Amino acid sequence: MTATDTSWGGVAQRPRRDFRRLREFAARWGALFALGVVWEIAARIADSIYFPPISRIMHRFVELWLSGPPNTLFLTEGVATDIVPSLTRMLGGWSIAVVLGVLLGVAIGRSRTLGDFVEPIIHFVRAIPPPALIPIFFILLGIGNEMRVSLIAFAVIWPVLLNTIDGVRSVETLHLDTGRVFEFDRRKVFFGIVLPSAAPKIFAGMRVSLSVALIVMVISEMVGRPDGIGSVILGAQRTFRMLDMWSGILLLGILGYVLNALLALVESRVTKWHRGAREGVS
Amino acid sequence: MSVTTTRTDLLTIEGLGHVYEGKQRHEAIGRLDFAVPEGAFVSIVGPSGCGKTTMLRCLSGLMSPTRGTVLLGGAPVIGVPRDLALVFQDYSRSLFPWRTVAGNIAFVLPRKQLSAAERKERIDESLDAVGLSAAADKYPWQLSGGMQQRVAIARALAYRPTILLMDEPFASVDAQTRAELEDLMLAVRQRFGMTILFVTHDIDESVYLADRVLVLSKSPSTIVASLEVNLPSPRDQVGTRELDDFVQLRSKIARMIRDQSTRRPSAPAIGDSESPS
Repeated sequence: MTATDTSWGGVAQRPRRDFRRLREFAARWGALFALGVVWEIAARIADSIYFPPISRIMHRFVELWLSGPPNTLFLTEGVATDIVPSLTRMLGGWSIAVVLGVLLGVAIGRSRTLGDFVEPIIHFVRAIPPPALIPIFFILLGIGNEMRVSLIAFAVIWPVLLNTIDGVRSVETLHLDTGRVFEFDRRKVFFGIVLPSAAPKIFAGMRVSLSVALIVMVISEMVGRPDGIGSVILGAQRTFRMLDMWSGILLLGILGYVLNALLALVESRVTKWHRGAREGVS
Repeated sequence: MSVTTTRTDLLTIEGLGHVYEGKQRHEAIGRLDFAVPEGAFVSIVGPSGCGKTTMLRCLSGLMSPTRGTVLLGGAPVIGVPRDLALVFQDYSRSLFPWRTVAGNIAFVLPRKQLSAAERKERIDESLDAVGLSAAADKYPWQLSGGMQQRVAIARALAYRPTILLMDEPFASVDAQTRAELEDLMLAVRQRFGMTILFVTHDIDESVYLADRVLVLSKSPSTIVASLEVNLPSPRDQVGTRELDDFVQLRSKIARMIRDQSTRRPSAPAIGDSESPS
């Protein structure tokens, strides 16, 4: 698809939409910047040790994680000890949840009987707040990484699972009939019809899961063996290192934002057709 | 009833019947016996709600009928046979929106039996046949309804079936596009030498396109008449439609269908074949 080609109609709107997006982008960043300025002024006036000015938080942030030697891309050792383990377990747990959620979701979505059996259980189990299960995960998996990754996977599997079930159930019957007419084998039906049809809903579930994964990661790091961003924040608070604490919080915000933006980028590439087909041309 | 012809029959339907069981038992198809000779263009026309879609689903093997047999090239149809393709009325939900036009066509070509070059050639040839070579890299939803149906036709052509079934393929396009697509089907049939079974509710269309028109009764459907169409080829959208033969034939069919929709379904007259002139 070329953005400039207008001969088939519909696509002609692209440049104007891009411009509008640029304005929205500027507005969003402008607002964030304004919030920073307000924080700075308010903090300087209040002069509270609990709410340091944003400039000092950012300075400490750089000191902690971005003041390393050039050969490590200016990343400090703190990145390796605090951020990498956190990110690894968060993405690890999330990936496990996505793979399991999609596989189970497809199985449940394709079979009415299995769905009738399993769905009440799913809705019950997912209603339990994951932090309430930390004690049981402690007992079963200890206080280290396995417990944390499993807890994240458990907490974030539900949006993916439920959305996959929904997506698989709403596959067009005519698409499946078309597959039968042209003798698609099971693999081709799955990868060629079922998965692409369900992809927009699966991605929506993956995005919800990703933000939940960040939350559960922090919670899991505030208990058990001290390790990761969560324990940095908690440890700093307990020792009155307010700048370190706020740096950790800032870091979480940035990580959440960047990860979500990356996933949104992948999503828009993979399901580009979905937006186009929805907005409709003819 | 069998169609009297010197050509061999490609598709044979014997005693086909279908009943939807359930709370509201519905007999969609009463009894159908007919044959489609190889290379023929047969159209089936009937009043609305005459079980045309049920019939096509049974013929194509998407559904197994409760009674009777369907034979394609002498072999019973169980599941959709390799030699058969079906073009649906609802093109927008039959094409895959996540694939480009070329991608939709490539998708139905078996990877094992064809080399990349052969696949490319098939795609180009079928797109050329429907006049959409320029749209290969578009997505279906970027095209108009008529163009989308052309893509669906191209996809079926690339699959190289010996028989093509079409379920009211032009019911949801405008009159101008419909005329273009009708002529497209005649050209395509010439070019690929395919047998075509064309279901429609449009009487003019059924006569204009076919060598033979089967008129269906209301549901439970039976065949009311099998009429040979002796119109000169190539057909012409204006010229053919003003021929006396065309006008008489379409009036005759229109009368049959009107009688069908006003009269209560009586005992089906099976084997009551008639021919004009």
